[in-house]
Amino acid sequence: MQPPAHKEYAALAKQYGFAPAPESVMRLTQLVADQYADLDEIARVIEKDRNLTARLLRVANHHATCEAEYTIDSVEQAIMRNGIGIALILAMGTPLSLALQKAFQTMAGLKLDQFPAHQLTGVNGEHMRGCIGFAGKIAGHVYLRMTLPSSRAVAAAIFGCKPEDMNNTDEIRDAIGELLNIMTGNFKSNLCDAGLECRLEPPKVGITNDYTTPIESGGCIERMAFRSANIHPFIEVTANPWAG
Amino acid sequence: MATKILSVDDSRTIRLIVARAFKPYDCTVLEAGNGEEGLAAAAREKPDLIILDVTMPVMDGVTMLTKLKEDEALKTTPVIMLTAESGRDNVLQIAKLGVRDYLVKPFKEDQLIEKAGRVVSLQKKAA
Repeated sequence: MQPPAHKEYAALAKQYGFAPAPESVMRLTQLVADQYADLDEIARVIEKDRNLTARLLRVANHHATCEAEYTIDSVEQAIMRNGIGIALILAMGTPLSLALQKAFQTMAGLKLDQFPAHQLTGVNGEHMRGCIGFAGKIAGHVYLRMTLPSSRAVAAAIFGCKPEDMNNTDEIRDAIGELLNIMTGNFKSNLCDAGLECRLEPPKVGITNDYTTPIESGGCIERMAFRSANIHPFIEVTANPWAG
Repeated sequence: MATKILSVDDSRTIRLIVARAFKPYDCTVLEAGNGEEGLAAAAREKPDLIILDVTMPVMDGVTMLTKLKEDEALKTTPVIMLTAESGRDNVLQIAKLGVRDYLVKPFKEDQLIEKAGRVVSLQKKAA
């Protein structure tokens, strides 16, 4: 039976018109949050969802550039090798990816399609990088990166002007920071609802040519790439080793 | 008389979108970058509606809402939350404090207008 707070929240969510997270994602997040989580049950939830399975294998084989190079080829094997942290990354990645696509579509009118991150090309040189750290029952970072012309075009779409008129770097940074804030806020809500309490740090947005993404030893990373006509943002989510 | 709307958000981008949303209406949109500035603006300007973010530096939206509800002169001012955080505990806490509505970012301008229109009178500006 649902606790009264859950019922009360469900009524408010209906009243306010909130969109619920996908059921398989919420189930996976709840399983990961459970300190007595059963790895077999986690594997079953992932195996039932083709998208989650494909992503799990990509994360487990993050050095591979294509499926033919995978050395880990089953959900069970991936979880045995990487532990519960890899399920955590999956649980976090889906809400993030959905939140990114929704934020770009709603705020900037840009429809983004996700594509395999290993097909990402041209990731060198100066670019706009936003970063938000999260800490609590789980900890890690979310990065949003895009080229400078992409960030200018996105900010222009949000502000309703032409990219060539978007010359104020602070305004571009603020727009990118807000997109990052929105997607990270959405995903944090999903994690907290599943029992993975965490808080967000303020976003840091700036121009850099550093593409390295720090990962703690034993931690996990997932990179997700997106594209529309001329915009190619990608996000990275890192999770520190799972403390349980 | 124009409807007075106070937008409290640390993001200039969001404040700009809120101002743009109300532009076709007979409204004056005031801005504040955090809860402290928001409380001062609310006391000074007596807005008809406050649109309030949650996560902000200096003073967050929950603290501002709490202080607003403790203030005899301001406690009846309607508030619509506009935030990326829709987690259960946050929403329950905010609903208990008393808000008229809750809009989760990302949002469309017409969603904001629809929700605001249920709380205050919005008249289109004469062409």
